[in-house]
Amino acid sequence: MTNPIELGARSGLGDLHRVERHDAAVFDLRMRRDAAAREVPDWEALREHAAAVKAHTLDHLDTYLEEFEARASQAGAVVHWASDAAALQRIVGDLMEERGVHRVVKSKSMLTEECELNTALEARNIQVVDTDLGERIVQLRHESPSHIIVPAIHCSREEIGELFHRHMGTPRGETDPERLTRAARRNLRSHFLAAQAAITGVNLAVAESGSIVVVTNEGNADLGMSLPRLHVACVGIEKLIPRMEDLPVFLRLLARSATGQPISAYTSVVTGPRPGAELHIVLVDNGRAALLGQERHRSALACIRCGACLNTCPVYRRAGGHAYPGPIPGPIGAVLAPAMRPDGASLPHASSLCGSCTAVCPIRIDLHDQLLAWRHDTNRPRSAASLAARMAAWLMARPRWFRFAGRLARGFWPLASRRFPGNPAGGWLRTRELPPHPGPSFSARWHRERGAD
Amino acid sequence: MNDRESILNRVREATTRTAAHPGKHPAPDLAGGFERFGSCLRSVGGEAHGPVAAWAIGEEATRVAGLRAQGGRILATDGASQRLGPGPWVVAPPDIPPAAFEDVAVAIVEGSVGVAENAAIAVEGKHLPHRALPFLCRYLILLLPTAAIYPDLHSAQAALPDDAYAYHHLTWISGPSKTADIEQTLVYGAHGPLTLDVIVYGEQSGR
Repeated sequence: MTNPIELGARSGLGDLHRVERHDAAVFDLRMRRDAAAREVPDWEALREHAAAVKAHTLDHLDTYLEEFEARASQAGAVVHWASDAAALQRIVGDLMEERGVHRVVKSKSMLTEECELNTALEARNIQVVDTDLGERIVQLRHESPSHIIVPAIHCSREEIGELFHRHMGTPRGETDPERLTRAARRNLRSHFLAAQAAITGVNLAVAESGSIVVVTNEGNADLGMSLPRLHVACVGIEKLIPRMEDLPVFLRLLARSATGQPISAYTSVVTGPRPGAELHIVLVDNGRAALLGQERHRSALACIRCGACLNTCPVYRRAGGHAYPGPIPGPIGAVLAPAMRPDGASLPHASSLCGSCTAVCPIRIDLHDQLLAWRHDTNRPRSAASLAARMAAWLMARPRWFRFAGRLARGFWPLASRRFPGNPAGGWLRTRELPPHPGPSFSARWHRERGAD
Repeated sequence: MNDRESILNRVREATTRTAAHPGKHPAPDLAGGFERFGSCLRSVGGEAHGPVAAWAIGEEATRVAGLRAQGGRILATDGASQRLGPGPWVVAPPDIPPAAFEDVAVAIVEGSVGVAENAAIAVEGKHLPHRALPFLCRYLILLLPTAAIYPDLHSAQAALPDDAYAYHHLTWISGPSKTADIEQTLVYGAHGPLTLDVIVYGEQSGR
């Protein structure tokens, strides 16, 4: 079986120069996070507090969901429930169709990526324009985001300049980030003013007031929420927090962990629709309740999607987000994938278990322990890897056979490390190289050097 | 069974109702005041002016608006204009469609409380009937009383009035609109204002 991350590695970042640029850009975010965390005297207490609030909320999630629904409805919002991606697609599509909506602006939401909402709406003749600059770039490139905070981190300014030349009429060869950003601002402004509806994600939802909290740096979600008459907010059921009093705990952690900013530029707490407008909130399960039922793995639902674990992960930094099969890459993606995706079982194996993700997680999710736990849970006894392991065990218990097999392998080594059609190691070699020939065996060296004593 | 019932049933089966809520997070020991707030605002791309006396606020706003926009429409919310007195601004009329703010150069809006640790200023829906105004304008000016600057987000949020969430939206604004989506180069004015100026006025309280 081919590992998805291996498939991705072939199509992912490509040449070494891109890998190094990606690694540096991502690690820069990690260092900004470190500097920001040092400025906060109660950082560790905050992390601990946030973890406890989340553990409590998840353990009482049904009550908080009902409380949220009641309060949001009182404030004038309409609350919908979606068991899976298809239900979300249907609910949002119907809302748009009933109101004759064909032009929608959307701000960043990993949940709608997960549920492939854009594709479903476009199939119903509803045009969706992603308005976060990074998301707009990947949308125009017909790609998915490669990072949950910085969706176009894999693109160079030259590629973006060429893309904007084709789609926004910037001069050919224009690569200045400020001028490209201005062009996108003008272009997207016209989409905002013409939009009939806005779709946003939600960073946190407050049960006691029925409020949704939407965080951006660009202000794109706020433009969406303030211009068209219809706002549809998509919320994963794990996004709830009990009280408004809990909100500062998460806001103080979120942006510092993501980009090293003390808080994002815009944090909007929205309670009910604005006068004369409609607010619809869709609470989405799509596998979350099932994960909640797995006690060993439920802590992954505490994630606030800051991206800190991506920025520090040695695998993500060099593989890039497109090497992962799902919408969420990095350690948190690898922890969620086995529960949420049929192709996600092998992701926890693509980790060095260095624990750096756990060290930076603002909610103290035990990410590397989770990866290890998933390996135990998803280990298939009949897999090729375990057959090889059993053959090795048989061989190692028989010294004479073992020495013979060693000699054989040493003889075939130069041939096996070459890429040629029919090489049984070919699949492995597509994305890797064998190490150089190891020379004589350990026991041969041992006998030689002991003999020289 | 509909989606609501099936989701709630699945969640009910999965929860054990044992983990306790940790209570209120104690406010950290941080420095507050105008200086801290101003230096943090600078670090996020904004600029603090003052503190000026409450009677001098109109003069300061005229000066700051002149720094940003030569000509162009200057709109103030009703509450802000009452604080400012007469000047080069006009009050945003109550019943105009949001898209009419598209050509506004400078908007002047009241903030309720400010936070020294992150330079965020709360703008309440009650003070902002035109939700789109501070996002469509090119340059934004917020007014903030010196006494309303709190050291940390916990104490600032706790100081908001009881009806802070009763008017559809409350937005914490920290610096101008920004993006670093093109090769991590920071650019101000992604979608919203290109600059944020905060005019701090009035006496420091005894805090």
